[in-house]
Amino acid sequence: MIVAGCDIGSLTTKLVLFDGKKVIASSIIKSKPKPEDGAYEALEQACAIATVNQTDIVYCVGTGYGRKRVPFAQDNVSEISCHTKGAFYLYPNVRTIIDIGGQDCKVISLNDRGEVDRFVTNDKCAAGTGRFLEVMAKVLKVELQELSNMAKKGNDAITLASACTVWAQADVIKYLNEGMPKENIALGVCKSMAKRVGVLVNQARIKRDVCITGGVAKNTAVVKELESLLGVTILKITNVDPQLTGALGAALFAYQKAGGV
Amino acid sequence: MFDEFRQIAQSISNEYIQNEKKKGSLCIGYTCSYFPEEILHSLGILPYRIKGINVSSLSVADAAFGPFICSHPKCLLQHFADGDYSFLDGIIVTPGCDSMRRIDECIRKTAVNLDLPVVPPFFFHYAVPHKITEYSIKWLVEELQRFIDEVTKHFSLSFSYDALKQSIRFYNQLRAKIEKLNSLRMEQPPAVSGADAVAAFVAGLSMPREIFLQKLDAFLSHLETQPYNNRVRLMLIGSANDDVELLSLIENDNAVVVADTLCYGPRLEIDYVDEVDEPLHALAVRYLNHSHCPRMYGGYKERKAKVVEAIAKARVDGVILQNIRFCDLHGAENGLLERDLEQMGVPCLRLEREYGPLADYERMRMRIDAFIERMEVRRYVCDRP
Repeated sequence: MIVAGCDIGSLTTKLVLFDGKKVIASSIIKSKPKPEDGAYEALEQACAIATVNQTDIVYCVGTGYGRKRVPFAQDNVSEISCHTKGAFYLYPNVRTIIDIGGQDCKVISLNDRGEVDRFVTNDKCAAGTGRFLEVMAKVLKVELQELSNMAKKGNDAITLASACTVWAQADVIKYLNEGMPKENIALGVCKSMAKRVGVLVNQARIKRDVCITGGVAKNTAVVKELESLLGVTILKITNVDPQLTGALGAALFAYQKAGGV
Repeated sequence: MFDEFRQIAQSISNEYIQNEKKKGSLCIGYTCSYFPEEILHSLGILPYRIKGINVSSLSVADAAFGPFICSHPKCLLQHFADGDYSFLDGIIVTPGCDSMRRIDECIRKTAVNLDLPVVPPFFFHYAVPHKITEYSIKWLVEELQRFIDEVTKHFSLSFSYDALKQSIRFYNQLRAKIEKLNSLRMEQPPAVSGADAVAAFVAGLSMPREIFLQKLDAFLSHLETQPYNNRVRLMLIGSANDDVELLSLIENDNAVVVADTLCYGPRLEIDYVDEVDEPLHALAVRYLNHSHCPRMYGGYKERKAKVVEAIAKARVDGVILQNIRFCDLHGAENGLLERDLEQMGVPCLRLEREYGPLADYERMRMRIDAFIERMEVRRYVCDRP
């Protein structure tokens, strides 16, 4: 039995195909202005990789901000529940999930059954989310994926006084104009990001084990700063792309809803 | 009936107000639930609880208030600046909280700056104590008398205690109906959705109360056939809300708000005014004691006890603690309630939001959906053999 989970986020659309034992294919594409188009494209890509027909998929659950716009989904579940499901499936000992997505950040506490105990989310703005890193990478004229490596080469991090993405951007431009090495600026950006997320984690009252999901989990410089700030080791998801955790959770819900155990 | 209440609740003016104005009736707006409508009613004046809904721009209010203040009074001010409250003959401003107190100076300053008839002909600053003591009740009685003196002088009206007693009796009848509505929504299953109940409460503050009483009667007789089965039962706590859409957003298809402490509603209990006591004293006692608002000093334990009682009575699965950004009163109290209710095993969701058009609809939707899913899992686990 093949099921699918489709996570339409603010920046990327993710799709996972699951056969009850393992992820058989996945795809990550940029979200489209029309969420349905992104969902179809992600589905086509994943089906091509798995060499299955779309009609082979017996059930699909949508999640993410566009969860109600997945045209081929039979049901939808919030991303908080889906990230919880996905992370607990991968690491049954996980009790705190830090999910940093494109435009929001969530910290979720789980109980021993893998159910959501409580959660906190960023409320005020997009600071401490993937969008913050994206804007800073653009100012530094590097690809988002390069930001982490650049930060690792820094040795004297700049301080960003403002939590606001726009004001922080102005600070970064000021440092660039002063001739500050880009590596130190990148390190300062990652530290600033970690501080914003750290505030949220402290609100949620951290319980071990801790893991990180979402696109920003791939930025190892931010994860390292976060570990240092919180004084915990953060589990890195390695067996699937951490950005797919929500889509994986949706696929697991789909499997359950389709009658799988 | 549901639709009419919603329509009235979601509009600033309505045909009933327009009809009253055509007949030459006076209409006075007020900003806080601590003002006793009975006094206006006894003088033949239509009381109107000022709303902030449907504002699409804060061009004037942002300039007058500045950025770091609750958006609810801003929306009220914007409506005045836009001329939407031109039907009001007077306004009563109360320092319910610091943000609401600033309506007083901002509305008058806006009138000067824009050279617009923003301020209605009658303007009264109605002060309400923050403590419930014998001397604060005595003080409030004097404040009510000061109001009566000023309003009767301004509009050349005559006040009588007999008329006030009649109005008190009428409002107690109205409260009995509201109590009935509130108890029906708490039933298992509830006979009315939270959105419909709140629509009725808010509509009732924007129309002649005799007409509201008739409509509420019809509404109640219609209700018994409208059950809401198998939904997650929520309680909504926090900042003032006159927006039915907030309730609809929360309830969606799988939840129902069975109780609330919102300022535009009856809050958690229906307190009747003593019909035997001296009328002004009876009003002062009822209004100062009743309102379940964190503006009152030292009342957290009592407020929490009422919330806990309502959670048990309405069989609440979870509590949403919302506050408008920069609402210090509810923001702080929600933190205490979250701590205490979670300790008691009551799941809570804290939401900070902007008042006004639901621009952050999806952000709120996702959090509420996740919270409701948490309740559904909890129910499933509890029901599991």
